[in-house]
Amino acid sequence: MPGELPPAGATWPERRRRALADPAMRAAVAKSTRSLAVKKEAVFATYPAAEAMRKRAVIARRGSLARVDALLDELTRRVEARGGHVVRAAGPADVGRYVLDVARRRGVQRVVKSKSMATEEIALNEQLENAGLHVRETDLGEYIIQLAGERPAHILVPASHKTRQQVRALFDEEAAACAVDPPVGDATPELTAFARRQLRADFLAADMGISGGNFLVAETGTLVLITNEGNGRMTTSLPRVHIAVVGIDKIVATWADLADLLQQPALSGTGQRLSTYTTFITGPRREGELDGPEEFHLVLLDNGRHELLGTEFVDILACIRCGACLNVCPVFRTIGGQAYGSMYSGPIGVVLTPLLGGLERAPELPKSACALCYACADACPMEIDLPRHILALRRTEVERGMEPWSDRLTFELWGRFWANPAGFRFTGRIARLGQRVYVRDGRLKGAPGLVGGWTATRNAPPLARESFHEWWARRRAPRTGS
Amino acid sequence: MVGAAACPEDRVVTRKPSAGSLAEASGRDALVAEFVESWRGLEGDAWIVRGGRDEVRRTIVEAARIMVEDGGPATSCRVLAWSTADLASLDLPGLLAQQGWEHVPWPTGARAGEAAAGTNGAAAAGDVPGAEEVTRTQAELVTLAAASDLGITTCAWAVAETGTIALYATPATGRLPSLLPTAHLALVRPSQVVRTVPDGLRLLAEYMAREGDPPSAVNLVSGPSRSADIEGDLAVGVHGPRRAGVIIGEW
Repeated sequence: MPGELPPAGATWPERRRRALADPAMRAAVAKSTRSLAVKKEAVFATYPAAEAMRKRAVIARRGSLARVDALLDELTRRVEARGGHVVRAAGPADVGRYVLDVARRRGVQRVVKSKSMATEEIALNEQLENAGLHVRETDLGEYIIQLAGERPAHILVPASHKTRQQVRALFDEEAAACAVDPPVGDATPELTAFARRQLRADFLAADMGISGGNFLVAETGTLVLITNEGNGRMTTSLPRVHIAVVGIDKIVATWADLADLLQQPALSGTGQRLSTYTTFITGPRREGELDGPEEFHLVLLDNGRHELLGTEFVDILACIRCGACLNVCPVFRTIGGQAYGSMYSGPIGVVLTPLLGGLERAPELPKSACALCYACADACPMEIDLPRHILALRRTEVERGMEPWSDRLTFELWGRFWANPAGFRFTGRIARLGQRVYVRDGRLKGAPGLVGGWTATRNAPPLARESFHEWWARRRAPRTGS
Repeated sequence: MVGAAACPEDRVVTRKPSAGSLAEASGRDALVAEFVESWRGLEGDAWIVRGGRDEVRRTIVEAARIMVEDGGPATSCRVLAWSTADLASLDLPGLLAQQGWEHVPWPTGARAGEAAAGTNGAAAAGDVPGAEEVTRTQAELVTLAAASDLGITTCAWAVAETGTIALYATPATGRLPSLLPTAHLALVRPSQVVRTVPDGLRLLAEYMAREGDPPSAVNLVSGPSRSADIEGDLAVGVHGPRRAGVIIGEW
């Protein structure tokens, strides 16, 4: 079954224009991505064990993906044996229905969430809020994004495009709405103190905690949750019901596999050796335990993933959502995450968005949001060949005739003429004649079509009066004659 | 370039001892030192105690002063501590009473001793003095923990390379004392420090082989809560304890 992603919101030209017209956002994104990329380089350089572990982790991940179905069955048996509930969800509506059903049965009104791409993917908050539940994102960045009514701009640092002044304005507004004291200033400790106080109240009042999951260990039915802020711990320890929504791709067979994988999100994502909080959850609280959730539900989300097994795209399922590809991508650094119109941005988003949500939903991503520089292929700790997938998606678009007729005609003609020397020389002569009208101050300006797009933001010199071929032929001519 | 400038040509090059001989010479101390360095590198507080039980007790008071009151007098301090036999030998109620502080033992539920045996470096909690069998609802416990200044726990193992402590959730060793109080202090024995995360997970695998299952929750904690969500600026203590401390010693 194909998956379903929330709509992009605005058209690609609109999103692109908005991004390019926002220098503050672009500066913030460039700064945060560069700093994360530098930290990643540094940790691999100073921590020799990291690279060997990464290589083993790639093998572990691929091996687990090769037998997803058997592992999911084993996982399900283990979780159920520990008193947890497991449900398979094909898409967004299945998850929403199940969570609301549990909420109704347990009289839940207030939900706290820890950061989860899977729940972003299925717009779970919207589904729950429409049903009258109060939902609070508790990751500091997600909290800021939720107050702003936006979508995360980066897998790892969702609010990296916001300045502290913007954050303070959002907190002031929230303080007024809740009739509490606003933050005393816009220094990081002051803003953090406000968020801590507000979110602590939400945690203590919540009836249900919803988390994602970084890995699932089949052999014991264990959910692995990695956070730096500790909101994952709060979400899974305090409310009486815990629901984890996890993509089926997160499964690993054994603890030995997990041992190699566990540090990878931190190593490649933030350049830490291990994230601050790592939690292994195996079922609900046990007899005699006085804290922890009474109920544990695991929702295994498909949403287009299963269909990728056995295709050329299968290795995309090995993604650990570390964000390393975003941090090195020149396109991401230029336009930021929101221009992608998807919760998955950057190179991984260019591939995953059309694969999960359909190529028709985001044809512009493979086509326009990649410069084929291959930086992401080098950065990916799971060795996912993102550029190859982007090329494959472009090819599919052409095969399906998805590009506009003008593009088709342009490239068709271009290909035909440049396939032989005579055609190449002919286009040169035509262009030299045609460019006369558009040369000003020795530069090409305002030419039509593709050339115009190129020269709108760049200086392009006009074609020389004489081509190299012509010059060469003229020089050689007397000698061959003598 | 910087490296070359910093190294004079006549620098004496000492032969590095091989990993094996280094480990033999000072294995345990080196691991403890590495653990402390890693933990401090993550904005955590750390104390190495060589003097045994009495010094560990003195250090607990010092740590509480520093982490709860930033070195101030800490005139009132509510301490929520795990109720394990391992901690009982430190006589926390007596120690805290001397300071005029309040000691709240983590209540052990029914059959707690049985389930807690051999976890978090602890023996059974069944006959621990002071660990009365209190029935409290989770809501009461949450309120109590959130109003505590300091949570005291032990740990199951610690990792030198990453500055990490592992906490297993069992009836006697609840999740809240390391989560909700303003500060968290973990007591670590030098013998519990392993080098790598996979080394630690092997200890968890031994536990699973013995008990048949992992604990309901295992928390690996590497320093206090951190976030870089506001302009990439490091913020410590967004959610969990504002400060996280370890005392490494024998008692």
